[in-house]
Amino acid sequence: MLSRVADSLYWMSRYMERTDGILRMLRINYASSQDDIQEFSWKPVLRIFSYLDEEKSTSLAQQSRAVLQYMVTEKENVNSVLNIVTRARENARSVQDHITKEVWQCLNDFYHTIRDESVNRNLYIEDPVSTLDVLIRHGLLYYGTMDITMARGEGYAFINIGKYLERGVQSADILDIKFSDLQYDVERMDTTYWKYLLLSISGYELYLKTYRTGFDARNVVGQIVLSEDFPRSVLYSVNQLRRYFERVKSDGNKESWKKIEFMIGRIQSRIEYSTVESILRQGLHPYLNGVKEELYEVGIALNQHYFAYS
Amino acid sequence: MQTGELLNNYNVEPNVWDEMYAALSVRPQYQGVVEFLQQMSIEELNKKEELAKRLFMSQGITFTVYSSGEGIEKIFPFDIIPRIITAAEWSYIESGIKQRLKALNLFLKDVYSNQFILKDGIVPVEMIYSSPHFLREMHGFPVPHDIYVHIAGIDLIRDHDGTFYVLEDNLRTPSGVSYMLENREITKRIFPDIIPRSNVRTVMEYPVILHRNLVSLSPRQTANPTIVLLTPGIYNSAYFEHTTLARLMGVELVEGRDLVVDNHRVYMKTTAGLQQVDVIYRRVDDDFLDPLVFQPDSMLGVAGIMSAYRKGNVAIVNAVGNGVADDKAIYAFVPAMIRYYLNEEPILKNVPTYQLGRPEEREHVFGNMSRMVIKKTNESGGYGMLMGHTASDEEIDRYKHEILRDPRQYIAQPIISLSTSPCYMNGRLKPRRIDLRPYALCGPDGIEIVPGGLTRVALREGSLVVNSSQGGGSKDTWVLAG
Repeated sequence: MLSRVADSLYWMSRYMERTDGILRMLRINYASSQDDIQEFSWKPVLRIFSYLDEEKSTSLAQQSRAVLQYMVTEKENVNSVLNIVTRARENARSVQDHITKEVWQCLNDFYHTIRDESVNRNLYIEDPVSTLDVLIRHGLLYYGTMDITMARGEGYAFINIGKYLERGVQSADILDIKFSDLQYDVERMDTTYWKYLLLSISGYELYLKTYRTGFDARNVVGQIVLSEDFPRSVLYSVNQLRRYFERVKSDGNKESWKKIEFMIGRIQSRIEYSTVESILRQGLHPYLNGVKEELYEVGIALNQHYFAYS
Repeated sequence: MQTGELLNNYNVEPNVWDEMYAALSVRPQYQGVVEFLQQMSIEELNKKEELAKRLFMSQGITFTVYSSGEGIEKIFPFDIIPRIITAAEWSYIESGIKQRLKALNLFLKDVYSNQFILKDGIVPVEMIYSSPHFLREMHGFPVPHDIYVHIAGIDLIRDHDGTFYVLEDNLRTPSGVSYMLENREITKRIFPDIIPRSNVRTVMEYPVILHRNLVSLSPRQTANPTIVLLTPGIYNSAYFEHTTLARLMGVELVEGRDLVVDNHRVYMKTTAGLQQVDVIYRRVDDDFLDPLVFQPDSMLGVAGIMSAYRKGNVAIVNAVGNGVADDKAIYAFVPAMIRYYLNEEPILKNVPTYQLGRPEEREHVFGNMSRMVIKKTNESGGYGMLMGHTASDEEIDRYKHEILRDPRQYIAQPIISLSTSPCYMNGRLKPRRIDLRPYALCGPDGIEIVPGGLTRVALREGSLVVNSSQGGGSKDTWVLAG
């Protein structure tokens, strides 16, 4: 496979994963902003997904509609869903012969939908959840079409490498920022707070089934970092990353492969052999930050050894 | 409004060949389509037009116009009413194009080797050496199977009596074939069942034949040669076509930056190291192909590719240097080439062409400017043209001045009226001028022409220019079987 093609597939996939993450986050946070909980603020979301400075994000913290517009359709925001979907599509456009026609049409339709002015208008005057749902469904269609139509070749492996790398970083980020809001106080018994966090990454139901004792910050960390079954946990993402990286092994670049495989393996063991207690002992923030840094390094190494074409 | 009325209101222009109507009755080949249209209401037809637009959009059959830093997706206008060619018309066109291409191919081989045609005085030497597309780099280099023109698009038009004329030969990187394929797919969707009922020949073979020909050109004797399609990249207006063809043939779509030349061999950079490339179907112009040989600042090509080509380590399709044969000034000599190389009378007619480099012909043209179209010999896409019948005196004077500076760069042709075909526009049928570009594929086993082509249509009323860059659209083109 051409290095340029692998690169484009990888980024297409990262951008689509990011899109999904942002949209879910927005949907749940909007719902939570409609609940009369004491101190809802958009600040954590803006901190994770935008580059706004402190002042600007403070001024937006209570304005749901403005945040939604900024995060979904604002052209000036490089991380708006509109811009991310556009980038995913540009990447897809240059590798149309490596994704199925169905996948391409899916992305293309998503792009045309989000560019439609009605999205912006509806976010402002209609029920924004309906609009976000339409967009989220476009993303789901993409995942499903990918699963059903794509051949399980090298391209599919790079798509999944991008997807799980992005997801791992995203989950670590979300957890870190949500906790930083509480000054990493794990004793805090704020049911609604944890409920919305879990809902935003589709982990609420699993939590209820796993932990019968009500909400405890320790269990939240357990599920989002260490669960092997929760598809958005950091461990799950890293396991999948390793699984798909196995598939791009070839005789042509044994050494590079070994090097990156070593990096991923190290992250995997580090998480696998952690417990909630050991994480909290070294501090949640340094721990999550460390994982994130190492995942970024994998991204850089991939770029160097697999995607470099100039 | 009922559709019956729609047809009654169709007014054919006088002295113009209309593809659907002859002497107030519908030509037999259009009968089926007309009956189908008559069953529809205007609302239904409008819906079909809407559907066609949506299908183009959602499949990304678009080109991007960049303005104020933002890409806007546009579709090439598509008219839902097909253009229909009878079996008899097609067999005439087919034999004419085959004959013409045979001669043009021999001409290219000759011009880049012995130059008999120049020595025998059939084509003036200065015509060749003054052509910017004559590339000395190609001289004395035998291309595989002696084929220069692997893919050709020959533009045909019809005069008021229905006679076909060749308007232009496109022997470099003719585009538009993806529209031949996609227009058919769209027609299948908007007019269910009508294609099989009408006995229309399929165009689906095109990518299969092209791929087979490309495989046969591989310099390495290997069961599975590496074939790539070289595109200038996503900002090229034909990018959609490049991805479509790569996908339909199952070959790699590459950009110049994906390729590298080492020891006169071309490789592509893959995730598993370098992989040798055997055949390149390039959609990059000669000028940009190799910065070491042609334009030194080209970012679209591959440094060293010409040396690999000349060493015979890679096949390039179409051959480099073909422009010397589809130069608008050389065009006038194609009938003479056919007589010279094949000892046959040309089947397809040429539009009479005046060389403005010749004083007596120039005088004649200058005296009859209002009935002439003047073209620059090395421009395409409808650029640099003057239509004598619509230009103002001032424009004509300015153009004459322009011509006198370098007369070799211009030719003139009497204005051919171009046939009309009905187009569905805002609930009405209107006659609009059309041309036809069939695509011919030449391989070691001969020339094949997929029954169909691209019908381009001048959507502006009264316009004779069908180029997409000048407000043209396209139609699905049906060739009927027997």
